[in-house]
Amino acid sequence: MRLRIRRWEALAALALVVSSTALAQSRPPAAPRPVAEPRPAAAPPPEIAASAAAAPTAPVSLSARKIYEQARSQLVQIRTVLKGRASQTSVGSGFFVTPQGHILTNFHVVSEAALKPEQHDLVYVTADGREAPLAILQLDVLHDLALLRAGDAAPSAASGAGRRFDALAFRPANEPFAQGERIYSLGNPLDVGFAVTQGTYNGLVKRSFYPQIFFGGALSAGMSGGPALDEEGHVVGVNVARRIDGEQVSFLVPGEFASALLARGKDAAPIVGSAYPIVDEQLLKHQAALTDRFIEQGWKDATHPRYHVPVPPDVFMRCWGTSTVSQTGGLDFERSDCVMDTRIFVGEFTTGTISLRHESYDGTKLGALRFASRYAASFRNESFVRLSSQHQTKPRCEEDYIDRDGLPLRAVVCMRAYKKLPQLYDVAVLVATLDQSETGVQGRFDAQGVSFANAQRLAQHYLDAYRWVAPH
Amino acid sequence: MGGAALAHMEANAATASPAPALLEVVDRDGLVRQSWRIERWPVSIGRALDNTIVLSDPHVAAHHATIDVVAGVDATPAKVVVAAGETKNGVVVGRRDRIAGGTEREIADDGRDVELQIGRAQLRLRLAGHALAAEQPMSAVADTEHRWPPTLGFAVAVLAVVLATAWVETDPEAVVRSAGMVVLSTIAGGAIWCGLWALLSKTFTRQSHFGWHVRVFVVASLVLLALSIVPPLFAFAFSWPWATDFSFVAVYATAAAAIYFHLLAVEPSRRKLMRGVAATGFVVGVALSLWFNVQRTGRPGEELYMNHLFPPQLRIARPTSVDRFIGGLAPMQAILDKQAKERGSSEGDDGRGDDEE
Repeated sequence: MRLRIRRWEALAALALVVSSTALAQSRPPAAPRPVAEPRPAAAPPPEIAASAAAAPTAPVSLSARKIYEQARSQLVQIRTVLKGRASQTSVGSGFFVTPQGHILTNFHVVSEAALKPEQHDLVYVTADGREAPLAILQLDVLHDLALLRAGDAAPSAASGAGRRFDALAFRPANEPFAQGERIYSLGNPLDVGFAVTQGTYNGLVKRSFYPQIFFGGALSAGMSGGPALDEEGHVVGVNVARRIDGEQVSFLVPGEFASALLARGKDAAPIVGSAYPIVDEQLLKHQAALTDRFIEQGWKDATHPRYHVPVPPDVFMRCWGTSTVSQTGGLDFERSDCVMDTRIFVGEFTTGTISLRHESYDGTKLGALRFASRYAASFRNESFVRLSSQHQTKPRCEEDYIDRDGLPLRAVVCMRAYKKLPQLYDVAVLVATLDQSETGVQGRFDAQGVSFANAQRLAQHYLDAYRWVAPH
Repeated sequence: MGGAALAHMEANAATASPAPALLEVVDRDGLVRQSWRIERWPVSIGRALDNTIVLSDPHVAAHHATIDVVAGVDATPAKVVVAAGETKNGVVVGRRDRIAGGTEREIADDGRDVELQIGRAQLRLRLAGHALAAEQPMSAVADTEHRWPPTLGFAVAVLAVVLATAWVETDPEAVVRSAGMVVLSTIAGGAIWCGLWALLSKTFTRQSHFGWHVRVFVVASLVLLALSIVPPLFAFAFSWPWATDFSFVAVYATAAAAIYFHLLAVEPSRRKLMRGVAATGFVVGVALSLWFNVQRTGRPGEELYMNHLFPPQLRIARPTSVDRFIGGLAPMQAILDKQAKERGSSEGDDGRGDDEE
């Protein structure tokens, strides 16, 4: 759904766009997403953007020009370079936040260098073309942030004092934003050149597990990690993502998480070796919080006339429904899909999300035998393989008949372990009701990146939710 | 049999022979192609026309062998003396006893026919006084060949099951067309299958044995159809996932048995070999499937989970409680952790090449 904005390879980006658009189209088009007012030339065409790096011209407003001029020296491009081959594998943006050379960016901008340091180097390039290596000090995988330090910032042996950098300041927490306020987002889109784009603050993203700012402006690949500034030039957020099925629907990590990361990691020693243990530790915290919140929120009422079918409330999940009537006198069914917008990016895959689905089948036109055959085909048509064998084990399943206050269910629980993230598992629960011979409900619950104990808790929570509405 | 006219050698008895004997050329199916009544010994065999018996085979020498029979005296049995002439290939007695060119061998007559191989011809020497083996009944193949009613009964049963399956799997409005398709394709498929086997039979035995092949096909089809219904039903009723996890073993056994019975009508004289072929095929097939399943899913069975649902009334297994079921998941952790570790280390190297999404 979301395109991480860092790659500048047009083909790769295009491929992602095509596949994601197809996915989005299967959804009802009446998505109630607010759309920002289109403004002319908010995103300058490439040739203008290129020259904008040298001298901002007409389409950018006076304050944007002022902002860019002020922030120009604090802005950097961050490149991940293949060791020994000097070709870049990904590019993003970043900005100085202390005179001592601390740089903030997204975790996904530096993920290759963080997770596979033996193959990648990290460098930054300023608007004047100065290039220097970078070290990673601290990560916040859950909010997609990374704290880096410029390699040329270390105190020199001769003077004892390091180079001083121009730094951006954070907007104070006691100055709340109002919807419609102007935001300027800076970065280096598609490696074309440094650019500033304007947009509006539209509040926080609804139903996001972690707060994110809904930025009504255009972000492009390569701007990830760049700063989003208010009209005083203070950092309000960090560019992170955009929706590719909408226009100018972009997302920022709120500045408070960036300043918290800075406070936490300012004096940390650079991370040596692969960052997988750090990612693992943060994902363990995430799954604990996610599991608790998920179980605490309970279930919706009245999801099916005969059964209590588990459907989560719309707090940090969103449910879509479809209804299909057979054209050949066959099986009619209704389907509900609930997904989280939030998923945690971990280098080559994402995790840390929960999804649920159920299908309610009506085979009264078919009779018991024919219904059973279709009901079984649907039960069979499930995949339990998500990531390649490089990242996850093959699934293992347990299954049995389960009694829920007299309602018989067939239940299957399948789990996979992550190979590089110890103590984290994916769990999937498959359920089919078995009390009626011509109708039934099949449900599936998926949680990614949870501990084994929480996988058991979530599976139990899900199974316990099934029962008859009225006692039989 | 082309040119199977018996060539009688009139013997102007100079030496009195013990008793008349019969020398036969036998083909690979055990049928006699040619036979000579021998009334005078010795008998010379070779390619030259002055031999008693002429074999026009390029692998036979001009004067390849001479056979003499010395009558037994009192208690000593008769002896067959085989002398190989100037030959490179020699004479093979029985299965592998080779008489080299220029040597001879005395074979005591033990009351059984003597088998000789000269060149490419398989010869059988029958002496008077040899015990005759009892008459053997015709093989099952030839026996059932013309009994069509049971075969037709099985065929009707197969069509009935196939139709019932099509009825279950097709939505009501499309059922007539689908039934027609299924019946046509079943009959056409069966006819092609049986026709190909009949062709093989015809090639090797000069008889098509079509009725036998149809019988084998319909019986095997009926068993295979039963195997597609009964194990899933048991798996569902008793919550026995293994019943469908390993039902492919029964399917392979049925297929191997069917092939064996088909082969019986192709090589009727080599039952043992055909049984070996079918058994080897079965064992290799099962072993390959198990290995493939382990590679694919990490488990020997076919199915990750039991996915056959029938009308709820057919369930016999008792349901368990959620608590017990969830508690029963615990052993999975150790298994998954072990897999994550052992494969993670071995595949870490593989992963290096493809770090791009």
